[in-house]
Amino acid sequence: MNILIGVLQKEENEYLVVLKEGKACLVASESETTGKEYLNYQILKEHNLLIKGEPVSGYGVFRFRYGPVTSGLREAGSFSLYTYGEKILHTTIDLNWKHRQMEQSMTGQKPDDAVKLSEKVCSNFAVSHSVACSLALENALGIRANTLVRNWRTLLMEAERVYNHLHVIYKLASAAAQKVLASHLGALFEESLRINKALSGSRYLMGINQINHINNLPALDTIRKTIKDYQGIIFQFEKLYKHSLSNPNFLDRLHHAGMLSREQASSLGLSRPSLRACGLEDNLNGATGEHLIALPVVTQQEGDALARMETRAEELVNSCQYLIDHLKVSDIWEGYNVADMAVKPEGEGLGISHSPSGAVGYYVVIKNNRVSYLRMFTPSYPGMHAVSEALKDQVFTDFPFVYDSFGVHFTDAAC
Amino acid sequence: MKWWPLYGLKKKWTERRTYESPVAVGRIPGSRFRRSLFVYVIDVGSSNALNFEIDALEAPQYNIHRFGIYMTDSPRHADVLLILGRPVKAMISPLRETIDQIPRPFGIIILDDCTDNPVGLNDTELLNVIAEVKGVPDPSQLLGMLLECLRVNGK
Repeated sequence: MNILIGVLQKEENEYLVVLKEGKACLVASESETTGKEYLNYQILKEHNLLIKGEPVSGYGVFRFRYGPVTSGLREAGSFSLYTYGEKILHTTIDLNWKHRQMEQSMTGQKPDDAVKLSEKVCSNFAVSHSVACSLALENALGIRANTLVRNWRTLLMEAERVYNHLHVIYKLASAAAQKVLASHLGALFEESLRINKALSGSRYLMGINQINHINNLPALDTIRKTIKDYQGIIFQFEKLYKHSLSNPNFLDRLHHAGMLSREQASSLGLSRPSLRACGLEDNLNGATGEHLIALPVVTQQEGDALARMETRAEELVNSCQYLIDHLKVSDIWEGYNVADMAVKPEGEGLGISHSPSGAVGYYVVIKNNRVSYLRMFTPSYPGMHAVSEALKDQVFTDFPFVYDSFGVHFTDAAC
Repeated sequence: MKWWPLYGLKKKWTERRTYESPVAVGRIPGSRFRRSLFVYVIDVGSSNALNFEIDALEAPQYNIHRFGIYMTDSPRHADVLLILGRPVKAMISPLRETIDQIPRPFGIIILDDCTDNPVGLNDTELLNVIAEVKGVPDPSQLLGMLLECLRVNGK
């Protein structure tokens, strides 16, 4: 299937960033009909930081603002829920509270500095942003990253997926007041961050990926220990997850909460777990063009919070197993790990990676070895639209299940 | 199905170790936080790593409740305000409103994760700042800082 993830202006012409069978391409918007086939075209073109800003009215309808300062929503962002006291009729999401103007900050930077800044767009998606940004810059500079770099990028993205998925499932268990499950998952989440630190020197895997270069490649002993640690995560997570699926109190809270139909999911341009939970495949696993075998695409059918959690749980186990299998052979990967090589001083490029919550895209133009134009397309922006859609006709007690199950972040959506 | 609490009792996650503060923590005038410390967290523009570290701090490995440290849901119950990130313009006003809601005496700890990042506002002229950390401290350092706050202000 084709997914529109962004719309950009280039020399007064409009271009669409489309994922075609998991591969990113720029499509020139030559006629007035281009883009109309994608229902999210207008949303992405306008890229409004006030999502679904039209208020609703009616007998007894009032607006309940949730955020930007509330303990239930730790990130700076706010929801305006329109309700008459029971059902949520409409939800407006304001991203302005977290708008940090990252695109402007990265413009004018040297390519290596832009990659470093891309990690700060959303730290829990640091690898995904860094990989997409470096791929775009490499394409612009005419560099083809070597096998060692591409393979390590793939592994780091899976490591990022492991701790993010653990975090989402931990949040869902906490919201459902499953204290024991949440505590164990919280412990596994902390363990996964410690594994990252031991493997790369950073709990969020920052500062490792550069343009055609991987910093701080781990020693063989560290890799052996990491493999054991991931085996421990799989063992403990599978035991906990199996146990949680036999708990009707937990499942009832997630079942039928925040349902999205296939049509809604595809029209909003979702990808990875949010799309796959509706039974659709995005073929995004091979998007970075790595040499390693792509992971299987996990899908569920229901499209509710439970299906999104199940998708993440299965992906988490697959990612851990993938890391175990590939870390074992990582010492035989060949690569000239050299930062300096002959490059074009000018050019333009598109890069894509698959974060734990969906596709991340970067488009860059380089002039005189500086980034002269940069656009980023993040998974949380369409994700926030999906949250707004999924909250319709829900009661407020379902709010955390709907919001947390999408794994979206204000910092990623507002950038 | 095995009862969840019994399942939970099988594994002891809590670690017995010492926790060091990465920075000196100042004294809050007139404070006496001997037995407990209630912390309210506000994100004003962080890159999300700090939000994740706060979630990690609540993991059972650290078991912060054994030290009398609690995350509170309202600034009106807080002894210490933990500010995450460098404030973006839109969050200055909500930050000041939050500070106005905290009962006196209170302290502010600033965690600035945007050190190499030209975003956010540098100088917000906040009162009662007892510690400021540049970068992203891990949960053991955060816990060390809160324990140091208890030690300094419990005298």
